[in-house]
Amino acid sequence: MSALLELRGVGISFGGMQAVDNLSLAIEDGHIAALIGPNGAGKTTVFNMITGVCRPNDGQILWQGRDITGLAPHRIAALGIRRTFQTIRLFADMSVFDNVRAGCHLRARQRWWQGLLGLPAQRREDAALRERTHDVLRRLDLDGVADEPAVSLPYGLQRRVEMARALVAQPKLVILDEPAAGLNDAESAELSQTIFAIRDSGVTVLLVEHDMNVVMNVTDHIVVINFGRKIAEGDATTVRDDPAVIEAYLGSDDEGEPAA
Amino acid sequence: MSGHTQSQPVPPPSRFRVSGLAGPLLWAVGLAIPAVFDSSWVAIAAVFAIYAINALSEDVILGRGGMFDMGHAVYFGIGAYVTAILNTSFGWPIFATLPAAILLAAAAGALLAGPLMRLRGDYLLVATIGFNAIFVLTMQNDPGDITGGSDGITGIGVPSLFGLSLASQSAMFWLDWVVLGVVLLLMRNLDRCELGRAQRYLKQDELAAATLGVDARKVKTQTFALGAGLAGLAGTLFAVQLSTVSPASFVFTESVTLFAVVIVGGPGSVPGVLLGTALMFVVPQIFRDFAQYRYFVFGIAMIAVMVLRPQGLWPQRRRRA
Repeated sequence: MSALLELRGVGISFGGMQAVDNLSLAIEDGHIAALIGPNGAGKTTVFNMITGVCRPNDGQILWQGRDITGLAPHRIAALGIRRTFQTIRLFADMSVFDNVRAGCHLRARQRWWQGLLGLPAQRREDAALRERTHDVLRRLDLDGVADEPAVSLPYGLQRRVEMARALVAQPKLVILDEPAAGLNDAESAELSQTIFAIRDSGVTVLLVEHDMNVVMNVTDHIVVINFGRKIAEGDATTVRDDPAVIEAYLGSDDEGEPAA
Repeated sequence: MSGHTQSQPVPPPSRFRVSGLAGPLLWAVGLAIPAVFDSSWVAIAAVFAIYAINALSEDVILGRGGMFDMGHAVYFGIGAYVTAILNTSFGWPIFATLPAAILLAAAAGALLAGPLMRLRGDYLLVATIGFNAIFVLTMQNDPGDITGGSDGITGIGVPSLFGLSLASQSAMFWLDWVVLGVVLLLMRNLDRCELGRAQRYLKQDELAAATLGVDARKVKTQTFALGAGLAGLAGTLFAVQLSTVSPASFVFTESVTLFAVVIVGGPGSVPGVLLGTALMFVVPQIFRDFAQYRYFVFGIAMIAVMVLRPQGLWPQRRRRA
């Protein structure tokens, strides 16, 4: 069975700094996979390459066996790959509802002139997408704050709004960039349940995470990178006991802070 | 977890309000203008309608698209010249020139959008000024003896509808006013349609929008085409109202004025842009003796608005999707 998403020998450098080097990994359909590693290991860069934000210098990215290396971000989105951001990027002037509704953009079939004419068919489509948005808001327990300005919410809720925005289009793969960052213990416990629920709704999940509790609890497959290179992979127990991983995380003095 | 929201202070009060009601209302009242006022006021109202369409079309690009277009008089001018040339040189009826004016202006907008959309903010602004200069120079130099040089084109015909000649100032006013009504309707629909939403996403966060599938290139091209097309429409009405066109009507300062009308009135706000248009094009007529000071007065007003109301006189409301 071919993987949903596969990276083959992917590498990228920024001004002589090799941020990611010869990285290969595969994510199976229906799994919850995680990419972990100490600060500055290149995790977010890997996400940026998958989602078309930056283009790798080497290697290939395959989506259901098809080469998608270097496609523009909106084309990646059209494939059914959605993401959240480590630094939350909600639309600041919009309500929670409007932010999540934005995720439906590709679901709207109207052409620009049809929308300008405001035909009944467009209004029906709009009503359907509103309903869809409300569904996701209910599923993620956000319906109570639907009309609030998104950026007025506490951090944890803002992350959930971003997740709702990514999920509303029912993507095939959702990429969560540090979803537990800034959450308290209760919130990150709840996050694990949310991630399971996402997987159970038929969406494959790839996450970058520092919070080892979340990672160890939810993932089927973990890839560990450090200095842009893969140093281990496997299930939670395999990775936890891997000497290279322990060294990377507990590290020697010159390696900076441990991440967990 | 929803308990958090209760304790969290929510800074701005809910500002969701029915927007766009003021525009249509103003429009309906305006229909009675020829019955109440004398013909010079009817002419002023007609010019207001034309410039309102023009300013709303600038707002499509500047206010909604967030692109600093300071060469908008180009599209206005293309519409006016297309009508003037097709009518005087080729004998087309005015209404037949209308689609050509809209389409050619829109095509110019879409074409210029290609190189322009790579540019951001101030760079885009300077480039559009360049296009405006090229346009005015081209019209002055009379390529192929069709634009009439600096004097422009005179003797533009009167529009007629079903054999009915719209020669009187009242008839022309109603034509302009009805077209303005159609444009107001389009603007309302733009607020609610997917193109309008995509514009708002892009304006706020281009990267986030792209990861949701918004094709920035496509949306910006459509935005330029739509804004330019509507300006072309206004250009046709302008050529008819004045029965003459010349390069002086489409110079850089006209673009600056349109830009300022949108910024001062309220980018993305239909009532704001209408208010800005009224201040810029109608108030000078009231104080006719001081008309030459309009830029002086408007300059002071601009400074005051930017300091006191940076979102514009009548800011855009938050709206439901």
